[in-house]
Amino acid sequence: MKERTRFERLALPHLHAAHNLAFWLLRNRPDAEDVVQDAYLRAYRAFDDFAGEDIRPWLLKIVRNVAFRRLGDQKRASNVISFDAAVSDRIGGESAALQVAVEGPSAEDILIGAGEQALVRQAVAELAPIYREAIVLREMEAMSYREIADLTGVPIGTVMSRLARARAELRKTLTRIMTRDESDAM
Amino acid sequence: MQCDRAAELIGAYLDQELDADTRRDVAAHLGGCPQCAALADDQRRIGRQLSALGRTPAPEHLVADVRRRLADASAEQPLPRLLARVRGLRWLRQAAAVLFLCGLTAAATAVLMSRLAALATLEREVAAAHVRSLLQDSPMQIASSEVHTVKPWFAGRLDFAPVVKDLAAEGYPLAGARLDYIGERRVAALVYRRRLHVVNVFLWPSADVADSAPREIAHRGYNMVAWSKGGVAYWAVSDLNMAELRQLQAQL
Repeated sequence: MKERTRFERLALPHLHAAHNLAFWLLRNRPDAEDVVQDAYLRAYRAFDDFAGEDIRPWLLKIVRNVAFRRLGDQKRASNVISFDAAVSDRIGGESAALQVAVEGPSAEDILIGAGEQALVRQAVAELAPIYREAIVLREMEAMSYREIADLTGVPIGTVMSRLARARAELRKTLTRIMTRDESDAM
Repeated sequence: MQCDRAAELIGAYLDQELDADTRRDVAAHLGGCPQCAALADDQRRIGRQLSALGRTPAPEHLVADVRRRLADASAEQPLPRLLARVRGLRWLRQAAAVLFLCGLTAAATAVLMSRLAALATLEREVAAAHVRSLLQDSPMQIASSEVHTVKPWFAGRLDFAPVVKDLAAEGYPLAGARLDYIGERRVAALVYRRRLHVVNVFLWPSADVADSAPREIAHRGYNMVAWSKGGVAYWAVSDLNMAELRQLQAQL
């Protein structure tokens, strides 16, 4: 009981971070909420293993593991054959990307010119999961390369190249969307 | 520094994740290359846009959902712990099971051995009684082929009334009867003849209620057939061949 109070006091403040990561990996709210609940349960059961001072990376690591397992299950379930998980996530990803895009701005947001945000959301959603993950951890959680490397279990060099690749993709996608929108406007 | 190398490093440069030397090199390159400087600007802008997105906030009910799951989990936790503790004692249970099996086997063996020993003893006693009867002047205390003479003779000598049959018609004439002592009790001994062979049939009330099929035993040249029928144990013993002994057995 005391243990649970301690866990809640440490872990619940990071619920938004956990949800955000899960949401960007799964790209829809119901799955993200499931993943967060599962991850918190796992974290609680493994709480004895937590020895560090900062619980956030430890917690997010569990979240991303649960989320990637869920993604793998989805991939098997939809019977999409993946030659390169990093790239082929695009397949069938369009509708999910659009869903994420409409998650974004409210009517007011658009009024104040935040329609741009919807485009950015869509661009992120179109990235492959490992690039999405790198972007979320770096840009939204402001983690260092070292922290990201520990969390995702890859070398720092890989984090760096994933981020570079992700940003290049984002730039390309945003350029594409914007020029398309401009041509639509005309 | 080449442009493609710089392009690789721009992100890390903006993230301030480069060591001092590399950072200086990239900065120098950006200062002299408008194309890469534009790229850096683009990335800086995209970075700002991404940070501006902020986290996608969790719905309000999620905190409550998570807390409920945790409460459920800690409520059910004592059981797994208990199981773990019992599992920890698994070796003890296994040891107990092994000991129990050992005990069972030993007991069963003891019972079996004692029964086998008793049977072996019985065999010897029956054979001895048969031989002893032949050492006497006569194996019979009452010599009669008359069932109604022999059967009443047992009355008062035994605590049971043996079934007595004359099997002269089948080629096994009844010669008579006597009392004998086998397995620490008085038993009836019926004497039949087959040509020159003497057949002793011992019978006494059996401990086994169920009838048992005839068992053929060869003991020091004597053939024996043991069976039980109607709560009576029968032992037929003779130097007669087993086939003819079985014929007699079938009539009794």
